Amino acid sequence: MTAVGTALAAGQPAAGNGTRPWYAAPLALQLAAGVVLLGAWEIGVRMLAPAYVARPSRVVVVFLRVLSDAQFLAAAAATLRAVLEGLLLSIMLGTVIGLAMGRVVAVERGLRYYVNSLFATPMVAILPLMSLWFGYDGDARLATVVFAALFSVVVNTCDGARAVPNDYLEVAHSFRARGWRTLLDVVLPASLPYLLAGVRLAAGRALVAAVVAEFFVSIPGLGYYILFNSRTFKHSEAFVAVIVLVAVGVGFDALINWITRRYLPWARRGG
Amino acid sequence: MGVNHRIEVRGAGKSFGSLQVFRDLNLDVGEREVLAVIGPSGCGKTTLLRCMNGLVPLSEGEILVEGARMTAPREGVAMVFQHFGLFPWKTVQQNVAYGLKLAGAAASEIGEKVPYFINLVGLTGFEGYYPYQVSGGMQQRCGLARALAVGPRVMLMDEPFGAVDAQTREILQFELLRIWEARPTTMVFVTHAIDEAVLMGDRVLVLKGRPAVVHEIVTVDLPRPRSRATLSDPRFAELREHVWGTLMADARRAEFEITR
Repeated sequence: MTAVGTALAAGQPAAGNGTRPWYAAPLALQLAAGVVLLGAWEIGVRMLAPAYVARPSRVVVVFLRVLSDAQFLAAAAATLRAVLEGLLLSIMLGTVIGLAMGRVVAVERGLRYYVNSLFATPMVAILPLMSLWFGYDGDARLATVVFAALFSVVVNTCDGARAVPNDYLEVAHSFRARGWRTLLDVVLPASLPYLLAGVRLAAGRALVAAVVAEFFVSIPGLGYYILFNSRTFKHSEAFVAVIVLVAVGVGFDALINWITRRYLPWARRGG
Repeated sequence: MGVNHRIEVRGAGKSFGSLQVFRDLNLDVGEREVLAVIGPSGCGKTTLLRCMNGLVPLSEGEILVEGARMTAPREGVAMVFQHFGLFPWKTVQQNVAYGLKLAGAAASEIGEKVPYFINLVGLTGFEGYYPYQVSGGMQQRCGLARALAVGPRVMLMDEPFGAVDAQTREILQFELLRIWEARPTTMVFVTHAIDEAVLMGDRVLVLKGRPAVVHEIVTVDLPRPRSRATLSDPRFAELREHVWGTLMADARRAEFEITR
């Protein structure tokens, strides 16, 4: 994006150092690309597809109506709640397991291969089993979310806890800190940047897990809303749910970035 | 056991596996004495200091601080680290308060002492800064305040000015002298700079060889308080030359040896 901007700016003769023509500004380019893509979609659908296929103008028309629809709101609340609950569980459990693995050799040796294998297991593959174990309801969705999110928190926190510089531990030791104090005062804060990177990854996986679980197990939620409306030729309504999911994903990413900048300003300097 | 000896080193030796770092060290450090420790790089100066702090166990012999054997870090002994050892997630103020908090000091005591020591090392106004936001010299001032805040009777300085630039090093040397004069404690000052060893120390312990042994203990009969004027004292030059001579014969050999 920046490279394109620079290239365009460089192509302008004698535009002056640092001054770009208005149409080379990042925002202008972003908007232009969006308009072109949406325009192509709109025209393509109008020319080639049946009327029920979603197109931007229809999505805009139904957008506010869907957003104020009680059924949609209930679905969104159910999905987001499952994602948040699952994430919270994963963060708490994952931090404890990750710190233990990172600092206690025996725990790391015992769990390493299991955690790595579970981290690599495609969440979709075990979905049928989840519904057998947890029933055809929200529990299966929550379990799927936790399964998808937990191990990225564990793996990242473990890496963080192992990467705590020995210098810090020696300082703590020198000031007579032992065991738990060092874990809470030194290991945990030193691991936080890794932990947050894990949470960021986990959040994306959790969102996918909740939607896929709803597809598969037919639990009321945004995923099921998309599935149901797609099958009843309400593509535009389904698309609103997609947009909400995207917004949640992007929003969470921005939130983690903000937390890192606001509360861990030191982390960007590499310790 | 001398009454006035705050640190007693008796037949101390340290090995890492088959590598013997130092052996058979015997020395005492008095109550208001600064012992500078100098030697070629890799001679075990820092290891000796870490043993004095109880961070690593000795392989032979013993080190007594105030009559008690050092097997683990204890109250009354504080260390200043070469690479500052500040916690990056803590502000200057929080770093200075760290030792006090661990020692279980009351909030009122922390509220009183932390600003006092921050002021003593000249960091007033920078309490809320994170280490990455301040210079290396300021970071070491913070490390010094953190050590001073716990009221140590023994200060262990591990090449404290080794990681800052030359001008800052000079400034910090005189700052430390000023702070020490105001509140003299036992201090063991590890350095690889000869000037610094002579300027700081009441005695200079010169280590040599592998494993390191006491090569010579040079008494520095320069008057205190010391200041910039000390550097132009003819006696200072003499002592520096003497330590240089003792050290260099060994340093050249050490340089060409394959290091671990």
